Amino acid sequence: MSRPKVGFFDFTSCEGCQIELTNFGDAAFLELLNHIDIVEFREAMSEKTDHLTIACIEGSFSREQDRARLEDIRKRSDIVISYGACASTGGINALKNHQDDYKKCVYGKDCNMPHLASQEARPISAAIKVDYQVHGCPMDKYEFLDIVSHLLHGKEPVVPTYPVCVECKRNETVCRYDDGDHCLGQVARAGCGAICPSHGIPCEACRGFVHDANEESLVQTLIEKAGFSKKRAQSKSRMFTANLRSDAQ
Amino acid sequence: MKNYYLSENDFSDFVTRMISTKELIAPIAKGPRFVFSKIKSPSEIRLDYDVTILPPKKEFFPPRQNLVKFSSKGYEGCIDPKEKILFGVHPYDVKGIDITDTVFENNKKDMNYLANRRAATIVASNIQKVSSRAFWDTVGADIKAKGHDAFLTKISDGYHFQTLTTKGDALISCGKFTAATEKQSSEAKKVNESVNGTCPEKLKHSSKDIAKKVRDSFSKKEMWDKMAQRCFSCGTCNIVCPTCYCFDVQDKWNVDQTSGVRTRYWDSCLTEEFSKISLGAGHSENFRESRGSRYRHRIMRKAAYLNETLGGPACIGCGRCSSGCTANIADPVEAINTIMEVK
Ligand code: SF4
Ligand code: SF4
Ligand code: SF4
Ligand code: SF4
Ligand code: SF4
Repeated sequence: MSRPKVGFFDFTSCEGCQIELTNFGDAAFLELLNHIDIVEFREAMSEKTDHLTIACIEGSFSREQDRARLEDIRKRSDIVISYGACASTGGINALKNHQDDYKKCVYGKDCNMPHLASQEARPISAAIKVDYQVHGCPMDKYEFLDIVSHLLHGKEPVVPTYPVCVECKRNETVCRYDDGDHCLGQVARAGCGAICPSHGIPCEACRGFVHDANEESLVQTLIEKAGFSKKRAQSKSRMFTANLRSDAQ
Repeated sequence: MKNYYLSENDFSDFVTRMISTKELIAPIAKGPRFVFSKIKSPSEIRLDYDVTILPPKKEFFPPRQNLVKFSSKGYEGCIDPKEKILFGVHPYDVKGIDITDTVFENNKKDMNYLANRRAATIVASNIQKVSSRAFWDTVGADIKAKGHDAFLTKISDGYHFQTLTTKGDALISCGKFTAATEKQSSEAKKVNESVNGTCPEKLKHSSKDIAKKVRDSFSKKEMWDKMAQRCFSCGTCNIVCPTCYCFDVQDKWNVDQTSGVRTRYWDSCLTEEFSKISLGAGHSENFRESRGSRYRHRIMRKAAYLNETLGGPACIGCGRCSSGCTANIADPVEAINTIMEVK
């Protein structure tokens, strides 16, 4: 691929993934800048170009008025990458999808102001075609870099499709369940290096579910092995997978 | 074969001397579990361990192993064996290493494994504590552990140390060994015999009968689907298994975009896309699409498919899969005993 023109765009998110990316600050990100031209980046520049090789989109699609902006990005771009949980699965934003009092909880008396109107939080792929997804909350900058590197070489990026347990076991980490704890690593998409269990905390499936996640078995394991109540076991995985669960709204 | 004795008091000097000659790898505690790890001081070693999270094969065939480094100037293989002493390996794990030795020796020799393996001295040890899911005394019971260089047995006032190869003999200079008396040798023999029959789980049939029945059960789809109903396809049962040897190879570019590394990673046939293959022109097919078919494949591999090549089952009864499976369905004993009973 000849030197690509890359743009960065953000929608409903905390912009944590952008910070993770620019925090590269270290050699890795600066070196990447030798191989790409950043032509649009809201945090740093105001220009707009007609053609982009790669558009990197952060944040969820949660307002109908954003659709036109997304379609415009799609039209101008050869490749679209959604990065971060918000953009790739709806992420934590999708926690509101099964509730109706969230606006009141969050904004109190201002909750009916027109600029606060929004719909259910969906991944970017609900509005436009997305070619590659970088998972995680926040995304892993090295995974992002790896995907971009593959594209620069005209290769298909390879991202893990197996659960976090594979990486966790390769690390020889003590399983959270052997330490009197719980974990969602069995149903969560790997690629993060199973970083949470390796620090002694449960995987919360921030990278979303693997395809065909065995939700029923997870509920049973949380009840039997972690001593959860049925109610807690059933809602446990919702934090990052609200749009992926079988009860998605 | 020579038999030696080392007193309890001289043990830590022996370990210290070994550390000063080569890298010493032995079981140590990790939270409530145990792992094989590089030893810095004798007090870390826990010969009273039950079973480690990962099997010792990781020293020859690590979970992530670089194969080739490449740059604009060319490429270079990554084989770079370090002389190591693998200390305190339980006999079932010695059998596991013997199995990976066979599979990596067979056909095209896998030098990425073999170079590390050949640089290792293996000291087996008696099992002081039996793990809660072990069944090594009823699986392939007629197969002897072989391939180790020495065998250490805890006896009443010290250690019995049997050397089996020149590599084993070479360790004698590290400690204040004396020739073992007949009494010490027969005590060591008794200690090792007495653990047989103490495993909490038991297979009830011979490896031969099991292999036949398991193979004959191939088309009992409903049975396999039922057994795998709770499976997460999480791969734990493969990744912790001493006899699993599948790997995936991936390339990564360094940030300079011209150099990089080709790495192999332990892979797992229980995961959903393991058997997804390219049919070309953007098409693919998964020939083990259901959980049941993947679960069946692992049991077939452990109990039947490899028996001719290995002279016995590809399972050494460590119970790592049984305790690692958070759905509690991976236990080969439960699976096999069920299969044996199904008409
Ligand atoms: S994925 Fe997480 S870190 Fe990234 S923008 Fe969304 S909330 Fe922030
Ligand atoms: S700690 Fe979590 S990710 Fe690791 S093996 Fe256990 S369940 Fe799987
Ligand atoms: S271990 Fe789980 S929660 Fe932690 S980063 Fe990985 S996927 Fe996210
Ligand atoms: S049998 Fe158990 S350990 Fe193996 S893949 Fe299924 S859930 Fe994971
Ligand atoms: S199948 Fe299970 S019990 Fe048998 S060797 Fe592998 S991990 Fe150990």
